[in-house]
Amino acid sequence: SQEFPDPFAVDFPHVGYDLDGRRIYKPLRSRDELDLFLEKMENPEYWRTVQDRQTGADVRLSEEQLELVQRLQRGQFGDVNFDPYEPSVDFFSHEVRIHPVTNRPADKRSFIPSLVEKEKVSKLVHAIKMGWIQPRKPKENVPTFYDLWAQEDPNSILGRHKMHVPAPKIPLPGHEESYNPPPEFLLSPEEKLAWEQQDPSERRLGFIPQKFRSLRAVPAYSRFIHERFERCLDLYLCPRQRKMRVNVDPEDLIPKLPRPRDLQPFPTTQALVRISGNIHLELMEFWDFGKQGRGSDDGSVRLWEVSSGRCLRSLTLGAVVRSVAWNPNPSICLLAVALEEQVLLVNPGLGDRLLVAATDQLLDSWEAPEEERVQPVRWIPASPEERAKGIRLLVQHDKPVTQVTWHAKGDYWASVVRNPGGRQVLIHQSSRRWSQDPFRKSPGMIQCVQFHPLRPYFLVASQRSVRIYNLLRQELTKKLQSNCQWISSMAVHPGGDNVICGSYDSKLAWFDLDLSTRPYRLLRHHRRALRSVAFHRRYPLFASGSDDGTVIVCHGMVYSDLLQNPLLVPLKVLKGHAPALDLGVLDVAFHPHQPWLFSSGADGTVRLYT
Amino acid sequence: MAQLTARFRTENRRFAVEDVPFSVPATSETADLSQLINKLLAAAHEDHKYVEFDFLINGQFLRLPLVTHMEMENISTEEVVEIEYVEKYMAPQPEECIFHDDWISSVQATEEWILTGCYDQTARIWSVEGKSIMTIAGHTEVVKDVAWVKQDSLSCLLLSASMDQTVLLWEWNVEKNKVKALHCCRGHAGSVESVAVDCTRTKVSDFWKETFVFLPTDEEDEMEEATPLATLSGHTEAISSVLWLDAEEICSASWDHTIKLWDAETGDLKSTLTGNKVFNSVSYSPLCRRLASGSTDRHIRLWDPRSKDGSLVLLSLTSHTGWVTSVKWSPTHEHQLISGSLDNIVKLWDTRSCKAPLYDLAAHEDKVLCVDWTEAGLLLSGGADNKLYCYRYPATASDVGA
Repeated sequence: SQEFPDPFAVDFPHVGYDLDGRRIYKPLRSRDELDLFLEKMENPEYWRTVQDRQTGADVRLSEEQLELVQRLQRGQFGDVNFDPYEPSVDFFSHEVRIHPVTNRPADKRSFIPSLVEKEKVSKLVHAIKMGWIQPRKPKENVPTFYDLWAQEDPNSILGRHKMHVPAPKIPLPGHEESYNPPPEFLLSPEEKLAWEQQDPSERRLGFIPQKFRSLRAVPAYSRFIHERFERCLDLYLCPRQRKMRVNVDPEDLIPKLPRPRDLQPFPTTQALVRISGNIHLELMEFWDFGKQGRGSDDGSVRLWEVSSGRCLRSLTLGAVVRSVAWNPNPSICLLAVALEEQVLLVNPGLGDRLLVAATDQLLDSWEAPEEERVQPVRWIPASPEERAKGIRLLVQHDKPVTQVTWHAKGDYWASVVRNPGGRQVLIHQSSRRWSQDPFRKSPGMIQCVQFHPLRPYFLVASQRSVRIYNLLRQELTKKLQSNCQWISSMAVHPGGDNVICGSYDSKLAWFDLDLSTRPYRLLRHHRRALRSVAFHRRYPLFASGSDDGTVIVCHGMVYSDLLQNPLLVPLKVLKGHAPALDLGVLDVAFHPHQPWLFSSGADGTVRLYT
Repeated sequence: MAQLTARFRTENRRFAVEDVPFSVPATSETADLSQLINKLLAAAHEDHKYVEFDFLINGQFLRLPLVTHMEMENISTEEVVEIEYVEKYMAPQPEECIFHDDWISSVQATEEWILTGCYDQTARIWSVEGKSIMTIAGHTEVVKDVAWVKQDSLSCLLLSASMDQTVLLWEWNVEKNKVKALHCCRGHAGSVESVAVDCTRTKVSDFWKETFVFLPTDEEDEMEEATPLATLSGHTEAISSVLWLDAEEICSASWDHTIKLWDAETGDLKSTLTGNKVFNSVSYSPLCRRLASGSTDRHIRLWDPRSKDGSLVLLSLTSHTGWVTSVKWSPTHEHQLISGSLDNIVKLWDTRSCKAPLYDLAAHEDKVLCVDWTEAGLLLSGGADNKLYCYRYPATASDVGA
């Protein structure tokens, strides 16, 4: 017979069908809720009766059945006899035996990739290709955090924090704020008047101290809101800035120069004093090996020997000698002397007789050209008595000559004439006895001129600037602006790239011609006017003599690699000359080979420093 | 009062004392020690006369109190100190003063005569008593250096070098007192600064920028030109002074800060001693084999000419305040030399006491240009004040009374 195992079908009156097809009706027993409830309460066997669905009868469970149910409810095995804790007998062992557990040969599917999965994968691929399945997109690694301060400008905020200067503290109340101050804190009538007349910002106290009988009598403070307002302005509206005071060790500002001891040799002490007996001594020049020529204001030129200080020759010329210059050509023994309006070319006859003879021969071998050229000066050969003194040629100018200087080769020489406004510089050539005036208009009052030792340049120093002319191209190459008011003397470095100018306002300007037209360095070592400057031919020394009677020797190293600037180190102040008539040292000159310095002064002495 | 133990010894047998340690006060000076030695000698010999002694410790003269000297020299005061004593050298006694007409550039003296070169273009011969014997004029320029070549009782040969670039060889007939120029050595390109005759009196060399070696021929009557045997060039600047070390070697000192030693036979440069400053003069002593050089930096330096490295100054004597123009070793004493300088003083040095000279002879009023020392114990110095001073200095200490 068919059953209704379905537990939900409780509403049918029949429980099933018999073989004949007729309904099997439930026993007519209607149990309602009350009955069920009473049944629950009163039947002691209620808990172990179960209604059989097929028959509809209540079945009382036996002990065994009850135990079974309870065992099942506890989750144990139903069968009582079953012992789940029997020792298991392995059919295998951890030892490796000769025979395998099973000798069943492995299936092919244990070696090859799984066919089932292959089928599944191909179905998935087909589905993806057909678009039925969308492959899952990989998740982007979006950071789940962000930089809070990425957009900020650290400087502005940190700077503000660092620079924060808090407002000054309000002073604590003192005796003036008291309601009953001691009488000395009260203002007298004059003080009150003064207080009223003062500017409110200038007053020391913002109020007038007052005296009351008791605390009760003290009125409200009238300036309270004013004060609080000003304090608020101070706190948040008043701009305050921290002034950075630079903590610089003053020692660091001084450039590190090498010590003078490391820059030896240079002249340090006075060795010889030669007194010439005149008031003025001007302009010395050097010649080879121990002879020295000097002109002086009393009209004579003296030649001295260096090693002993002996005056070897003395030429009296009768007029004031302004300038003396030896010919730098070592095979000629010639001296150019500037004497009033004349320039004398003198052969002093010192030294090698062959040289002396050769010089004479050179000068006498001039032939007059066919046509006479118009010259600004006259070349006059010397008369016999002048020849006896050593003079060979006279060049007659029309104005007093202040300076003579030779070209490095020894043939050309230049003379400076004191003729403001007119022709001031003349260039002469002694081999052809020809002079010319190179400038059409004169650039101010010319102080001195120099020929460049190596290149065809001619340096003309006027009062404020130095002009460099190219003699071959006959044009102005450079104009050096010195920051001095009145240039007195000039010297060119033997290397040819640097020029120093001394001026009457006690400044020495070093120009680096490759660097700029402004002075590379201005040295202000002297107290008074600078009269003369000189370079040493071999050693990196230069010296300046001034009116305060001192000569300052400096080290001026010019490097051959063009990257390094010249190193200027002041070495020694050589004192010895006594200033006379407001003039001190008139001229300085270096020995051509030894690190010795000669200086001539207005006190009539020539000093040698070694 | 601290005491030191000292042991005294001396070279001189006459003044020997016992070789036992003495205990002397630490602050004793030369005079105290001298008194001590004298007392010991007086106790030993009855006829001992008082003699001043000078004391040396480790070759250095004692000039300070004993303990100060030892501290400075780092000598330990715990041990016995060896002190050597010698007779104190007496001061040179000034003898003569010879007046000239002009600056005296050089002087060289023998036992009987003094030869001076003067800036008035003459060379003069004087007797040692100061009498003028002969004036030799023949140069057209200032005479820079003079030298004796040969002397005997009949005639002498002498040389004078001058700024007119020549060196003249003169023969002087002593009896007739006549002088005659024998040779004229030309060839220099400039002033001849110095002339030297070698010890065997056969060769002569003179110098300006190159050195020439001349061989004087036999005496002849005509004025002849002598040609140089050899030219030694190597200096870049003027040579200030020159001398013969022995018959083979020439030493030249120059303004290019070097002293060069040459071989006279071959003319080769043997070695160079380099200094820092210009050399004004050199002098050689065969007794102690040292070269003394005077420079423009006021020091006198002693060199060993045999040294190979080139610039080894053995000792530096500093006391002058001006250029040292001339130096000369003593011909008899191996430690003494004199130097003249532009600060008008002639100083007598003992090389064992390098801090201070023995004596200062400050008689000149102007620069001292030349000095000389003869074997007979005569010191000469000439200067720019036109005077030549002679001093008598005993050759050995035992000639004090002589």
